[in-house]
Amino acid sequence: MTNLIETLSIASSGMQAQSERLRFISENIANEDTPGYRRKLATFEEVIRGGEGTGMVRSGPVELDQSDLARTFSPGHPMADQTGYYDGSNVNLVVEVADAREAQRSYEANLRVFDQARQMSQNLLEILKR
Amino acid sequence: MERPEIMRLALGLASHATARQSVIAQNIANANTPGYRARDVESFQQFFSDRTSTSMRATRAGHMGGLDAASSPVVTLDARAQASPDGNSVTLETEMMKQIAARQQHDKALAIYKHSLDMLRTAVGRGR
Repeated sequence: MTNLIETLSIASSGMQAQSERLRFISENIANEDTPGYRRKLATFEEVIRGGEGTGMVRSGPVELDQSDLARTFSPGHPMADQTGYYDGSNVNLVVEVADAREAQRSYEANLRVFDQARQMSQNLLEILKR
Repeated sequence: MERPEIMRLALGLASHATARQSVIAQNIANANTPGYRARDVESFQQFFSDRTSTSMRATRAGHMGGLDAASSPVVTLDARAQASPDGNSVTLETEMMKQIAARQQHDKALAIYKHSLDMLRTAVGRGR
């Protein structure tokens, strides 16, 4: 039974980490047209407690994508430099949508585990009820 | 009262299935953690024979050498899994298959336990 309870908390830590990742993706998509915006990357790490891996996951510090910003030619833009270009964001919508799909898939997998652990403990309790 | 052999077997099978389920949950939660290696538990055959063949027959759970149903199977790294470029070797599809296997194993163990209980009930005259 303790294993099943542990399973529930591990699965929920996975869901939490994936939903945080989805939040960064939505921030990136919302800021696609913000000049100078660098896309945020969610990082994951295993939770270590007392020098031992617990199997739970948490999202680590946010990383910024250091790839080049898109340069747009627009001499009339208030942020344009002498050459007439300004720095856009380095968000690529296709990448973000693919990333969102992956986050959704991982979230669903965690949800499935959660549901199964719940059902297994319910079956166990059925025996007690008789 | 000493627990019948079949119930001990069912109990071992159920605890093996829950331990495996827990390890699968760890793998799935860490499906995107860089450097994480997929884990699995030893097979039930190994788990059960290791704990019964070498241990002495005990008439009480507290006695030395009896099968400790609470002991959990050994967790091993899944050596066959291929790592992706970030060093993570979890495949969601494989984990799903393992999870279904664990579920079936758990259901099987509980069914066996339930029917053994029914048999005991019948023996004491309180059957259905």
